[in-house]
Amino acid sequence: MKIYPYKRLNRPVTLRVTSVSLKLSDGTRDQLETTAYSTQQQAVALGIAGHSDWVSATIGLSATLPPGADAPDAAWSDLRVLAVLTDGETNVRTSTDLTRETADGRDWSGSLEVLRDNHLGRASLAVHAVGTVDGVRGRSIAETDRNWIIDTVSEDPVRGLQLDVQKASFSRSAREWLHAYADVPWIVDTSARVPTVFVNTDVEGVLGLLDSSGSGLDSKVRDLLVAQMATDVWTAVFHGAIGDLEVEPGGGPVFPTDWQGDVLREMLPDVIPGVHVEEALRQVHRRRTGDSGWVELQTRIHYAAARRADATKALAYAIRSLEQMNRESEK
Amino acid sequence: METGEEFGPWLARQLKLAGKTQAELAKEVEVTRAAVSAWITGRSTPRPTVMANIARALGTDLGTVHTRTTDTQAGLPVTWYHRPGYPDGGRDLGNAAAFAFDADVQVLARETCQNSLDERLTENGRPVRVRYTLHELTGQDLDAFREAILWNDLFPHYSAVSEIAGNQKVGRVVDAGVRDMYEKGRLVLLRVDDYNASGLIGDDYADGKFAAVVRRQLESLKSGHGAGGSYGLGKATLWATSALGLVLINSTLSEPHEGRTERRVIGRLELPWREVDGEPYAGPAWFGRPDPDSPGASVARSWWADEETVARLHLTRESDEPGTSFLIVGAHDVASLEDKSSDADDETVDEEGGEDTRDIRKMHRRLVEALGRDFWAAMTGGGSRLPLLEVSVRTLRNGDVVVPEEQVDPSAEQPSRTRALRAHYEGTTVDRLTEAGQVAARSVPLKLPLSGGARGTLGIHQAVLLVTEADNDKDTPKNQVHSLRGNRMTVKRAGVANLPLGINPFQAVLLVGEAAGESAPFAEEVEEFLRAAEPPEHDRWGQTEELTLRWSPSAYRRINMLTTEVNNAVRELVARPKRGSREGGEALRKALTVKTRPKAKAPSGPVVPVLDGLDATIGDSGEWQITAEVSIPRGDEVVPMVPVAQLDVRSGGRPKLDWAELAAVEGCEVEDGTLRFAPGTRRAKFRGSTDVTSHPVRTTLTRLVLELRAGKGE
Repeated sequence: MKIYPYKRLNRPVTLRVTSVSLKLSDGTRDQLETTAYSTQQQAVALGIAGHSDWVSATIGLSATLPPGADAPDAAWSDLRVLAVLTDGETNVRTSTDLTRETADGRDWSGSLEVLRDNHLGRASLAVHAVGTVDGVRGRSIAETDRNWIIDTVSEDPVRGLQLDVQKASFSRSAREWLHAYADVPWIVDTSARVPTVFVNTDVEGVLGLLDSSGSGLDSKVRDLLVAQMATDVWTAVFHGAIGDLEVEPGGGPVFPTDWQGDVLREMLPDVIPGVHVEEALRQVHRRRTGDSGWVELQTRIHYAAARRADATKALAYAIRSLEQMNRESEK
Repeated sequence: METGEEFGPWLARQLKLAGKTQAELAKEVEVTRAAVSAWITGRSTPRPTVMANIARALGTDLGTVHTRTTDTQAGLPVTWYHRPGYPDGGRDLGNAAAFAFDADVQVLARETCQNSLDERLTENGRPVRVRYTLHELTGQDLDAFREAILWNDLFPHYSAVSEIAGNQKVGRVVDAGVRDMYEKGRLVLLRVDDYNASGLIGDDYADGKFAAVVRRQLESLKSGHGAGGSYGLGKATLWATSALGLVLINSTLSEPHEGRTERRVIGRLELPWREVDGEPYAGPAWFGRPDPDSPGASVARSWWADEETVARLHLTRESDEPGTSFLIVGAHDVASLEDKSSDADDETVDEEGGEDTRDIRKMHRRLVEALGRDFWAAMTGGGSRLPLLEVSVRTLRNGDVVVPEEQVDPSAEQPSRTRALRAHYEGTTVDRLTEAGQVAARSVPLKLPLSGGARGTLGIHQAVLLVTEADNDKDTPKNQVHSLRGNRMTVKRAGVANLPLGINPFQAVLLVGEAAGESAPFAEEVEEFLRAAEPPEHDRWGQTEELTLRWSPSAYRRINMLTTEVNNAVRELVARPKRGSREGGEALRKALTVKTRPKAKAPSGPVVPVLDGLDATIGDSGEWQITAEVSIPRGDEVVPMVPVAQLDVRSGGRPKLDWAELAAVEGCEVEDGTLRFAPGTRRAKFRGSTDVTSHPVRTTLTRLVLELRAGKGE
């Protein structure tokens, strides 16, 4: 629980994205459709238009302060509203001033310039209302409770992080390190910007099966395959994420801010149930670096991965489908 | 001086009302019969001295004879006429038309407002103004009103109805209405006024709007093909809304009748069959002046009332603009019984509890909502178009304002749709949505079938579809298409099928027929077609008997086709384009998205307390002083917890503060920096202060984070 040494507004600021446009390398602008962002998911996908050569994006913003920000007896003065874009991977922080739409309104608007070179993928956008409190400038009075995600790569404005899937012929790929794995159908690389699954096209038919969209036994087998792959992937990314944690001065682990944080926040409740994620991370870290408990934890990690992969459902459908087929052939 | 009607017709009517012949009058005022005849036909007017004699003969004052704005009180007084029982002994235990809808102020709002829209005077281009007044009467005001409507004459009829109330619906409603009036000593009047409308024109009995509303059932005399109504059911809601079945009417006419326009007054009562003093009565009754032309001079007809009478009947109109005022006596709101949602306003909850169907504040709010929902489009103007309709609602108690007059504002009730329509009128729509607040327009074809059962298409009408982002949470439900035609009342409200998940919420408007623009091809034919496809509730377009008879049994499929086209267009505007095949397939992509799933079940075992409340201040020497509350789940064994104070940072590890003091307040014990809880405790409280020497920066510039950790708390 956080607490500030001065009075603040209790309710959060609400933030909306109102428009998105890209500036291309030839100096022209492309005004994206409103489908480039999702107000429900609170996410913006700058990759949606398929431009490979954009330089910067301008995101129109509108924020509404909670009531009371302009109260005459407020403990603060010099109210300002700032939009802050934070990238946990590149450690870039960009802020821009919003201006009040009407003289006495609670709506503030402005636009944020996102430089493509400053970001690798997902950045997080928040709005802070700040003011001067007891002579100290720039103290936060209210902020958004749920940040928007600005994804410079994704084609889909979804909040959840999507892991990358790539196909390659492992034996002939330009990525030479893949050659060593030529005899397996897929491999997970957790050292990339986002974890990437490579699917081996040398294994005949695997891509076709993954791409199939039928509803018969094919799809059941496909789902079974997907569940198998997903279990592998989730296990790998969890280990990847827990592998190199930053450590606090006191010895406790720090929650990562990039994809590893997303993965851990999602999986830890299944690995160490019933405690806060921070506490769960400390326990996992203790077991991994300490003397005992790491081996016992593997079962929990496998359980968390299998749950995420929906393995039970995929298996049940496949079995039912098989039984049905058997019955039909008996007739 | 107010100008009354011509002397001749006025005198003729007074004679008729008084039951006098021209010869009798001639004798009384000592002139020849020919002279009286000349006055009546307008060939001459009497000399001033004769005027005084005429006034005396008619039993009135000289002023009335001179101004002729009202009828004399001579002759038969205003009274109630109850239709006698049918000679064949048939009994109507209620009016079937009144059962077509629930007696609900929302339905009433829709039906009355639609009628006013249909009767709008179009020549001057001004909107029709409709005002709803909720007026609660108690005490003296109630007594005065009851006297004005001759309650004592009516009461035997109500008691007769109450006696048979047990076994039929209308009787029970009326019985409840009368009891409410006596037990709670109050009466709710709901008045619906329209201005700049045609008024109840036409003769008392012959075809015309007056007779259609006052005398007849299920007759619809609409002024144009763009009209909303078609069944003649709407007026029945007026009577259905009255728990007493009583509606009084005052109309200012747009075309003079009997040489007059103002204060044409009549009342109509709808009761079931009853027997009073051994006389059977068929049901309806009228409040008016007995018509000397009718058999036995008993049938009540409308009369031209004076201002005082109108005021006593709470029927005073605010100006001489044509239009009609309906006064619904004993208005009640049946449907609100089911409406359990109560808004968390600071309104005081009335002592009768939430089941009072006659709470005027609640009725006020529901009226505003219903009007905004159904008529936002008619109230919206823009560009060169003026709105068709202006509506306001006010609430009074004994003449004192309870809720001040409130004009229904479409941009407050339906912000996104109003914006869409305004953009359409102003021509600021766009093809694709690129910015929040924009309105995208598309034209959607409606293939109009040939009438008379013939196969084939008469022509293609281009309807206008408007799509815009839904503004805020008030605009619910989201992702809906409102469809409207010429009268601009929302007819159909429907969601769009097969929308992809995660689209931005939107609102859409479909303008068909004359709403799509006067120049749209086949607008008139479409109006007629869709009007035939509307059921009495005016809430959808589909298969109706009329559609089958006039077009063909499959004609409604054309409407379904329109809906499909609309849904496709909406989807195309709001959904993200499907990307080309992506590597790995959709199923794998989905499985590899980090998204929140339901949490795994916590294992049984010792329960973990959680921090529930925190109060912290900075002490005199710069230390954080905290008081924290802990809630403990039900369990046999409770894990001991270590409170940890840290300073919040933007990134990296949080500096940890040492405790200078940590003490239990209640429900727990502190032992070596660890909180221990007794089994069975559900809440605990502790306090503490930090050690200033462990603070890395000035305390006033820090943010404190307090956590409870299990185990050793490192």
